[in-house]
Amino acid sequence: MSQDYDVCIIGSGAGGGPVALELAKAGKSVLILEKGPWLTEKDYFKDELACCVRSVYTPQLKDEKHVIEEQYQDNSWQGESTEESGWDFWNGNVVGGSSNFMSGFFYRLKEKDFRLLSEFGKIEGANIADWPISYADLEPYYAKVETEVGISGRVQQHQYLEPRSTKDFPYSPTIEHPIVHRIDKACEQLGFTSLTTPRAILPKADMGRNGCEYSGFCGSYGCSSGAKGSSRAALLNRAIKTGNCKILPNAKVVKLESNHQGNVSAVKYFDENNNKKSVTAKTYVVACQAIETSRLLLSSTGAKHPNGLGNNYNQLGKNLLFSAGGSGTGEMTYSKLDKVSAEQLKIRGPFVNRGLQDWYFINDKKMGGKAKGGIIDFLLRHPNAISKAMSLKWDDNNKLVWGKELKRQLKSTFNDSQDLRFEVFNDWLPTDNCFVSLDEKVKDKWGSPVAKIRIGYHEHDLKVGEYLSQKALKVLKKMGADNIRYSVSGSPPANLVAGGCRFGNDIKTSVLDANCKVHDVDNLYVTDGSFMPTGGSVPYTWTIYANSFRVADIIKKRL
Amino acid sequence: MVDQLFSRRDFMRVLVTAAAAYPLSSLAELRSKEESLAVYNRSSVINKEPWLTIAEVQEHLFPAEKNSPGAKDIHALEYLQTMIQSPDVEPTERKLIHDGVGWLNDLSKQQHLKTFIELTAGDKEKILRRVEGSKAGSRWLSLLLTYLIEALLSDPVYAGNPNGIGWKWLNHQSGFPRPDKNKKYFKLGKPRFRTIKV
Repeated sequence: MSQDYDVCIIGSGAGGGPVALELAKAGKSVLILEKGPWLTEKDYFKDELACCVRSVYTPQLKDEKHVIEEQYQDNSWQGESTEESGWDFWNGNVVGGSSNFMSGFFYRLKEKDFRLLSEFGKIEGANIADWPISYADLEPYYAKVETEVGISGRVQQHQYLEPRSTKDFPYSPTIEHPIVHRIDKACEQLGFTSLTTPRAILPKADMGRNGCEYSGFCGSYGCSSGAKGSSRAALLNRAIKTGNCKILPNAKVVKLESNHQGNVSAVKYFDENNNKKSVTAKTYVVACQAIETSRLLLSSTGAKHPNGLGNNYNQLGKNLLFSAGGSGTGEMTYSKLDKVSAEQLKIRGPFVNRGLQDWYFINDKKMGGKAKGGIIDFLLRHPNAISKAMSLKWDDNNKLVWGKELKRQLKSTFNDSQDLRFEVFNDWLPTDNCFVSLDEKVKDKWGSPVAKIRIGYHEHDLKVGEYLSQKALKVLKKMGADNIRYSVSGSPPANLVAGGCRFGNDIKTSVLDANCKVHDVDNLYVTDGSFMPTGGSVPYTWTIYANSFRVADIIKKRL
Repeated sequence: MVDQLFSRRDFMRVLVTAAAAYPLSSLAELRSKEESLAVYNRSSVINKEPWLTIAEVQEHLFPAEKNSPGAKDIHALEYLQTMIQSPDVEPTERKLIHDGVGWLNDLSKQQHLKTFIELTAGDKEKILRRVEGSKAGSRWLSLLLTYLIEALLSDPVYAGNPNGIGWKWLNHQSGFPRPDKNKKYFKLGKPRFRTIKV
């Protein structure tokens, strides 16, 4: 029977884009089904209401929600719909996915991240596993992402620098904010190695995209110049140009049908007019971001897959990962600085491309000897004005602040200091208490069971987060920051999510094989962050892009 | 004060181009017909309740000072009126805004035999703090403050922050490009409801 397309990809973010581009370039017919609308540079503005207050790029929680299961004091796990709690777990449901809204901090994993179990051993209560591939397998694709997506940076020698097949980044770093000199100086005094953070942002026009306009509003905003390396700007636009790739926006996939051999036979979806449609392909790729990918596969039951596609050994949705760590802030008070320095710190636009990797691997008695650590990134407080002002609405006693007092606080918050923040990224250990299942009662507007997410964390994550935060605090103190505060918690950041379909060599302990194909389905691949058995201690996007390019090569050879 | 308010209204009549509003000619009507908030021509309701009271509350929550703008200067009322008509606002939110005026004036009459507008600044503060003491009252005031802050700092395309007055006051450098009137957030993607976080 002839199929409608060679490849049908569900989801157009960082996991879907590389497969779409590579296969379209190879002359294969590609269909992308994307749940959200197709917004372009012409629709993205520096409009805080659109980006960050009204949740325009994500579903309304009354239409589509999650159920979040948290542990209570009596040790029971209880779920609450996000429609009730307002705790939004969506990220960028538009063409290009959440890569449209990233800040573009880009990091490779390191060699030891691929064999965390072998290198650091078991941790009680954690399901740590080595990856079925090595860094060397992924390195060519990390390099490919640098040129295909466009990563700016500079290679600096340091003790944990990953092996590279190319000498340096294809683009020099974006323009840097004057505060980096203060960070560098403080780090030097402390004996820390301050490094330039690579970013998926073009400093100059290239590949049909404009260079960065340095508006100063980057993370959470869709890019209006095309400089940010979203899947849409960097990959999908090029895939469309081949004439072989079609994107269907506002298409909500509800199920993958499978045949008596257990292979996928069709995709069922609702189109923008809510008409139920079906489409077929030779190969199917799921890349809906970790939580929704697990949900879709769990919903896709069939004769050979009674518990969902790829779930014959009850592994689907398990070992979900977020990013552990913490964050902190210190205020650089203008009145303590000379006028020129104060004016420099007020500058808006250039990037704070600075991070620390000195404790990516720790060897410290305090941590029981050798341990996996993580990274610290520095950034300015987000310039969003409404959210900054809203933070003043309630006082410490939970009373509303208004009148002259509100105005005085506004004036001070906006004018007295530049706030330097840090973010710590460390491994979110996979455990039995962090997974996706289908909720038995709560459904979305199409009548499908929503994803229920249990968000348990491992205490070890907090220990590492605290260790790294203490190092970051030293930098803020050395810089002379005031009112320094920080927090480390096990609360999951919804925008840094992976796992749920871990890849491995044994069908009994993994969902995908080393090629990211579902073990017992011949024509189904998963190319978002779901494949990761452990997450490393960096943002996931570069690794997702790289792995998707790797899987694209594998699919290309089979078609 | 009242005269100023009325002249502001006249000013608005010229300024505001939106065709519809959710009017209420009296509080009694509000309570009996909450479920049937009809759409009227804006100019016919601009001088009526609940907007007169809301404008007064807004000015109390965000008073003009010698060198800083107040609620009227940032077009807080126009912003509120415009935004609660946007297609993504839940009807319950509109109802809450109207209901709060009823609670406030009931309390005001009960305690002072006057409407809120007629109170002194000190009595206004006291009564608003009392309103805040109830859960619903706190929600109402929080919602008004949310809209006030948005009127102060959102892009002028949305009816508040005229000529960036709020940004200028706080020395906030806005990003670019800024949205034009055809690209307001509710025109991107499909119209839908949202629940504002208060």
